[in-house]
Amino acid sequence: MRKLFNDILSTEGVKGILLFSFSGDLIFKEYISPIDEKPEHRDWRFFIESLEGMRETDLVFEKGRIYIRRTEMGYLVILMALFVPIAMIRLNCDILLPLLRQPKPGGKFGRFFKKNK
Amino acid sequence: MIKNVLLVDDDTEMLHALKEGFKKYQESFAVVLAEDGLRALESLKRNLISLVVTDLKMPNMDGFELLAHIMEHYPDIPVIIITGYSTPEMEQLAREGGAVGYIAKPFLIENLARQILTTLRRESEGGTLHNVSSGMFLQLIEMEQKTCTIRLEDKSSHKKGILFFNEGELFDARVNNIQGQAAAQEIFSWDAVNLSIQNGCALKDNKIQSDLQPLILEAMRRKDEDEAENVPESVMEQMEHGEEEPADLLKKLKARIETQIGQQCGLEDLYQDEFWDSRVAQLSKTGEFFHFGRFMLGYIDRGDTNDYILIPGQKTTVITVDPKCPRDKILRVISE
Repeated sequence: MRKLFNDILSTEGVKGILLFSFSGDLIFKEYISPIDEKPEHRDWRFFIESLEGMRETDLVFEKGRIYIRRTEMGYLVILMALFVPIAMIRLNCDILLPLLRQPKPGGKFGRFFKKNK
Repeated sequence: MIKNVLLVDDDTEMLHALKEGFKKYQESFAVVLAEDGLRALESLKRNLISLVVTDLKMPNMDGFELLAHIMEHYPDIPVIIITGYSTPEMEQLAREGGAVGYIAKPFLIENLARQILTTLRRESEGGTLHNVSSGMFLQLIEMEQKTCTIRLEDKSSHKKGILFFNEGELFDARVNNIQGQAAAQEIFSWDAVNLSIQNGCALKDNKIQSDLQPLILEAMRRKDEDEAENVPESVMEQMEHGEEEPADLLKKLKARIETQIGQQCGLEDLYQDEFWDSRVAQLSKTGEFFHFGRFMLGYIDRGDTNDYILIPGQKTTVITVDPKCPRDKILRVISE
């Protein structure tokens, strides 16, 4: 999965990427800059609940910025410095969003076979 | 973008006659005058010159010395020689020295003007663009590995600069007397520019030795730092401190956004709403977890007819905006 996020992770100032399921489980984590806190040890359910209904969220803090994007798999959370060109990050997310889909069972042959009714 | 043509001649009557004669071309180029080679060098340091027209025989520094200096330090600037002592040998020397034109005195002012216009046209043969963000555009040049010379003018300060690209690599930059990385960073800090593209790059050596993106980011960082200095307490901080009536603060904030971005900024409504308080508290805790400090503001897209900007405070302030609004600009204005 890291390969998917290479373009975002190689943008200067991006500190890390996390992907949460809709139930608050951490699916993926990659830090570029050292961040002391271990996200595995935190209960993310309340945070994920607070994002309910949001498609895209851009949070500006005193010393950093968090960009959150709803995907079919859950919420993609990008941690970055304040100076990162957010338009570039949004564009990269637009590109990789179609790739972040839950695999559908049997979907591979769906276009060849009709379903029994 | 009006181009500057530097006229160099020790015959001041000639200079002023040329200046008068070129008035009808003032929409295409402006003239800068210098009475000898040394004064021309000073002028080259102060102005972004697109073309030099120089006499050969002059005191202090003659036309050949000036030509050699320009070819070494400003290889992008074409030079046309005008002389009253023309011989075939002199013309050959001037051409070998790098001059693009050679005119013997006396000449018709229209002939010189035509040659100037033809030479200047090459500066924008690759196209011109108005009101673009230099950073984004230049990253495209890098991506497409273009070899070109780009002349830019900052829309707000009217400063002019030049960038040299060789196969997408930034080789050099110049703004007035500054060259190299410092000049490039100055150019990258310009928000909106007009620019013209000339195909080709006269420079052969890379004087910058850095990728474009770190230079752009450093320029932005410095600009942000400069802007952060001497900033009075923001409307946002006043909201948080609760020192003024919310209605007055909201009015102030609305006025500020509309003044800086214009009536078409996409601002729909502005109010305080407790509905968002618990969500803002959660988002705020997440920032604290990653050591990002105080939560300042958030932009929310829920797919509704409006998007929301949230400003934490005793009560959450909500600004509803058109989804097509210039969101980054609005966020910048609010956090200033």
